Amino acid sequence: MTSEAVKPSLRGFLVDSLGHLVRGRLMYWAWLVLLLGLIALGGWHYTLQLREGLVVTNMTNQVSWGFYISNFTFLVGVAAAAVMLVVPAYIFHRKDLKDVVLMGDTMAIAAVTMAILFVVVDLGRPDRFWHLIPFIGRFNFPQSMLAWDVIVLNGYLLLNFGISFYIVFNHYRGREPSESRYFPWVLLAIFWAISIHTVTAFLYSANSARPYWHNALLAPRFIASAFASGPALMAIGLQVIRGISDYPIRQSVINHLALVAAIALQVTLFFLLADLFTDFYNEGEHAASARYLFFGLDGHSGLTPWIWTAVVLLTTAMLILMIHPLRKHPVYMNIAFVLTIVGVWIEKGMGLVIPAFVPTPIGEIYEYSPSLTEIMVSVGIWAFGLLLFTMLAKAALPVQCRFLREKNRRAGTERNPDSDPAVEPD
Amino acid sequence: MTTYAMVIDTRTCIGCGDCVVACKNENKVPAGLNRDWVVEATRGEYPDLQTEFRSERCNHCGHATCVSSCPTGASHYWKDTNIVLVAEEKCTGCKACIAACPYDARLIMHPQGYVDKCTFCHHRVDQGLDPACVSSCPTHCMHFGMLDDRDSNVSRLLRERRHKVLLGETGNDPHVYYLL
Ligand code: SF4
Ligand code: SF4
Repeated sequence: MTSEAVKPSLRGFLVDSLGHLVRGRLMYWAWLVLLLGLIALGGWHYTLQLREGLVVTNMTNQVSWGFYISNFTFLVGVAAAAVMLVVPAYIFHRKDLKDVVLMGDTMAIAAVTMAILFVVVDLGRPDRFWHLIPFIGRFNFPQSMLAWDVIVLNGYLLLNFGISFYIVFNHYRGREPSESRYFPWVLLAIFWAISIHTVTAFLYSANSARPYWHNALLAPRFIASAFASGPALMAIGLQVIRGISDYPIRQSVINHLALVAAIALQVTLFFLLADLFTDFYNEGEHAASARYLFFGLDGHSGLTPWIWTAVVLLTTAMLILMIHPLRKHPVYMNIAFVLTIVGVWIEKGMGLVIPAFVPTPIGEIYEYSPSLTEIMVSVGIWAFGLLLFTMLAKAALPVQCRFLREKNRRAGTERNPDSDPAVEPD
Repeated sequence: MTTYAMVIDTRTCIGCGDCVVACKNENKVPAGLNRDWVVEATRGEYPDLQTEFRSERCNHCGHATCVSSCPTGASHYWKDTNIVLVAEEKCTGCKACIAACPYDARLIMHPQGYVDKCTFCHHRVDQGLDPACVSSCPTHCMHFGMLDDRDSNVSRLLRERRHKVLLGETGNDPHVYYLL
């Protein structure tokens, strides 16, 4: 392919994509207006924080990471869960998954972007963010875990963006993307996904003065719960896309994600049990944070109702997904997905971050709950992530649909996504 | 490498808080924030109990986890010593150092957004003076000096008296010692 031929089609691709973005039904525009409104609201609250400093949050010198970093943690988990589509699609060549793997990448892009934004709003001096950029700032690499995190998160964003762009662009030109070109990058992205989990977990478990984090099980627990919440979120997203577009998403894909979530939930709850046993069978001082979280400490128990809610939600979701007829039932399955998402959001968000600061290593107890500013800024970032996902999907879906239709026509099997016999792996 | 240490006698400390005031004046620490503070604790076994006053601050750790966790190098060692400083203009306010510090020694400045801490008054140390808290103590319970010098007041006190550090098990190698 010569460069003269590529250039006009690249421009055409971009113009066409923009074209897809400004065409839509009333619902689409209403959705955009809603998201933009929420983003504006969050942005306004953020200007307040910029002016007054972090005092407008409820973070203190004792509890120095709060709601922002909790959301960051949850989203890093979601981002990496795209591998649960990528691995079976590319390594085990599941055809049905390969058709939708792009949506997994798109979700990863949105989730990593949100995660990075949550770090930025948590900074006391966001104007000095450039110090965190390799080569430009003075970057404390490889010593600082946060420096590692900056690299792996941005790298993951680039990888996913590059792979998705390459595939969609080729589909736009009506060709099958060359597997030998992108497969090495897909392999890299798979390992990279595990690394964004691991590095983020190490960011916490590196702190020897905080026994709640200083725990070898932290990274494994983190990965296990992410492989529950990520597929759950993806399954809901895919069903929404199937409902509002003619993108062929087969039920076998959703069933696959439900199975992954079921297994990941079992492992998550087992790890939780192992942690609780170790902390409480012969309780010592190292368990103070866990006691604060699960039972309250010295009359402080702000997080206790939350964590038990999470435990109940996750257990219920696990039971639903473990019973075969319920797991394949369209309503129960989705209830389980929602319970999983909310449960992990609590457990791997506030439940993971806050107790490490309560009590502080020198024994002070300061309780934390997010301020209005923190909540509104977070809502704004979530709205931004949803907007980004909507736009990317809106631009890519028509290309994908056309390509898949063409391909099926050429193969002589015009496929009807609903009546298609699903590939059942289990 | 010069190792500075502070040695504080819990038997003569009366918990007056002069060190806290002296630090605020010397370093213009804003209202509501402190680089040092006094803890009142009980020690011993009943009925042989004692009140222990401890003037606490950054321990200027030999293995400072705040320095290793800082992504920009804003947290750093001053010259070739164990005195840990924050280069204000490089600090992003990410607070990784606060999570990493076992001693709650760090504070977020509002609205500026960077992180601040005890400097062992390195600007005074540079002129051969003691930190402000040490010079202000009315009972002379605080001592400051170099550990590498065997004849310094701090080396001598640590040789002669029973002492402890706080949270030594974290491996941070703290340098504020409490005489018992
Ligand atoms: S006490 Fe905390 S702030 Fe001071 S050097 Fe040690 S880790 Fe750093
Ligand atoms: S808050 Fe400042 S000094 Fe602390 S780790 Fe971040 S950049 Fe370094």
